[in-house]
Amino acid sequence: MTGARSLLRRAVGALRVSRFEAKIAVALVVAATLPLLGALFLAGRVAEENLALGLDPRVVDRLEAVPGLYGDLFQARKQLYAEQARALARGLPSERRKAEAYLRAALEKTPRLRRAALFAADGAVLAEVETQAENPEGEWREAPARVALPGGGQLVCTFAIEARYFAELGEARELAELVQGVDALRAEIRRSYVRAFALLLVAWAAGAAAIGILLARRTTRRVTRLVEAVQRLAAGDLAVQVDPGRQNDEVAGLARAFNAMVREVRDSRDRIVYLEKISGWQDVARRLAHEIKNPLTPMKLAFQQLEARFKASPVQDPAFARLLGEAGEIVREEIGTLQRLVDEFSGFAKLPEVRPEPAELGAFVDEFVRTSKQIGASADVDVVKASGSCPVALDRQLMRRVLTNLCQNAIDAARPRRARIHLGIARTRQRAVLTLSDEGPGIDRDLWDRIFDPYFTTKGTGGTGLGLAIAKKIVLQHGGEIQVGDRPGGGASFSIALPLTPEAVSAA
Amino acid sequence: MRHALPRRGPTARLALAALAIAVALRVDAATPEPLPTLLSARAGRMEASVDLSAAFPAGTERDFGNGLTNVVAIYVSVVPDGARSPVALYGRVVEILFDVWEETYAVTVKDPRAPQGVHQVLPDFAALRRFLSETRGVDLGPTRALPSSSYHLEARVEVNPVSREQLQRTREYIANPSAGTRTSGGTRSVLGAVASFLLREPDPGSDVHLFRSRSFAGSSSAGVPR
Repeated sequence: MTGARSLLRRAVGALRVSRFEAKIAVALVVAATLPLLGALFLAGRVAEENLALGLDPRVVDRLEAVPGLYGDLFQARKQLYAEQARALARGLPSERRKAEAYLRAALEKTPRLRRAALFAADGAVLAEVETQAENPEGEWREAPARVALPGGGQLVCTFAIEARYFAELGEARELAELVQGVDALRAEIRRSYVRAFALLLVAWAAGAAAIGILLARRTTRRVTRLVEAVQRLAAGDLAVQVDPGRQNDEVAGLARAFNAMVREVRDSRDRIVYLEKISGWQDVARRLAHEIKNPLTPMKLAFQQLEARFKASPVQDPAFARLLGEAGEIVREEIGTLQRLVDEFSGFAKLPEVRPEPAELGAFVDEFVRTSKQIGASADVDVVKASGSCPVALDRQLMRRVLTNLCQNAIDAARPRRARIHLGIARTRQRAVLTLSDEGPGIDRDLWDRIFDPYFTTKGTGGTGLGLAIAKKIVLQHGGEIQVGDRPGGGASFSIALPLTPEAVSAA
Repeated sequence: MRHALPRRGPTARLALAALAIAVALRVDAATPEPLPTLLSARAGRMEASVDLSAAFPAGTERDFGNGLTNVVAIYVSVVPDGARSPVALYGRVVEILFDVWEETYAVTVKDPRAPQGVHQVLPDFAALRRFLSETRGVDLGPTRALPSSSYHLEARVEVNPVSREQLQRTREYIANPSAGTRTSGGTRSVLGAVASFLLREPDPGSDVHLFRSRSFAGSSSAGVPR
């Protein structure tokens, strides 16, 4: 039941015509039928004129007169046969034997005479002759001619009349009756042609409307999807995307542009959100650094005073001296740790603004590898350039920091083994992509969403969780993106996409 | 209770006026001729013999003797006086074909009693005219079914109306007008086929004769002229 309702709803939905579809359909119908409306007006005239041509009254009259002409022909033949019979009767011998010979001779001499019979007054047959020869004019019908003889006898001559006349008469009558009927129905025929034309016109218009709706629907469906996507976007859904379809028209271009715009808006929003978050964390780091750093110096000085007083004291307790020495080591170590933490926090809080300068990414990476002795000491680094020049704008110092942080993570992940770091450089139409991957244990996929959050670390107490956050902030400030992934074959992979310079994009 | 007539626009009023004028003219044009009638009751049924000779003047010999099939449709109805609708109706169709060889009239009469038709050969036009004019055996139905009040007979004679067969033949003709010729067009036959489908029976035409008898008393004294 629910299925049937859903099916019905879908069917009704499919039949519903949008205003845009209706407009296109109406335009097509108007375009298709407007000339035909004129033709409809002419159709009646054309039908009338055709009927007038086909049913010329003279033709109709002549056709109707044809049976009468055959009647005249038959009449003439009858008169001819009657005259011939009378002529035969005039020369008929009175003697029976001679009469038969006379009639036999007449049979041969008289055209179309097939049989002759002489009857006495009492009806007795006196003489009868008949030819067996074929009628030269083909099939024939009997045409009797009777002549009354003096004395009460009768001469009956049977002549042949062509049978084809009767067939032709039948055909002519049939045709004449048909034409007569068509003539009688002339006005109705004209009207029926106009009706037929109008009906075909309506069918034509309906077909044009259906085709128009179908054609319009192919476009309007995509426009409707775009409208829906815009509404979802307006409602705050930045994940919305529209399928541009396989066509390569303006609507598909609009869909692609919409998708690109939404992606750009989403990326910008993510960037802004992340930078705001980082900014907040930088404030926290600044305060923490301040709050931790302030008591560190008095603590250090106080302990140094304590050690100095003990050394200057005349009473030297060896056990206390050992205890004080151990405590001093612990205090100095912890203070050193706190100092490093404070330095890290301060460094994070005081990240300088990015000052990008034109650079070639491949050359920059080569320089980084060549000049980073510390990295080279702990890792084997190889560089692969998959494409040619990648001109970008970058702040060399900050971007070095990014690479250093990433390489340090790779080195830490590989411990105690020596790390292997692969640097790859490639370019797309609008971006240069730097990939840094290692052969370490990799990063759990569940952590990918949080890996760039400040203070999130997988190194336990050894890490501050600021390295990747700093790297992401720097990359974002370059207008780029950084993503974490898996290296095929094992290991973690980070890809940094930086925008190519406008000149490089336009040259591409 | 009084109902107000719906208000109509000037166009509608003009159309109604034109229609009324047309009806009036048609009524005027269709003034019936007198119909000499003889009624007789037979086995509980009323039969009429009517004289329709006014519909078949001597000049019609040329038409009926043209060698083509001529059709005469005769309708006789019983109409109560003062009413318009008939209470009984009889119809007869006579097909006439003059045989130009035999010079005789072959007549086929179709009516409810012989729907397939009764054939008859008449030797000359005089016999045919007599046959058509003196229409006998017009079955008006049971005597008791006739109106109790006074009534009259109305006869309608249509000469050569378009018959159903003729209509069918014409439909076939316009559906395939180019049959048997070398010029044939698909579009034309589609149009012709639709046109043939939409071809309707026409008006009977102008060769229609109307007759009206005198009044007769009701069924209680059936057949008695008033």
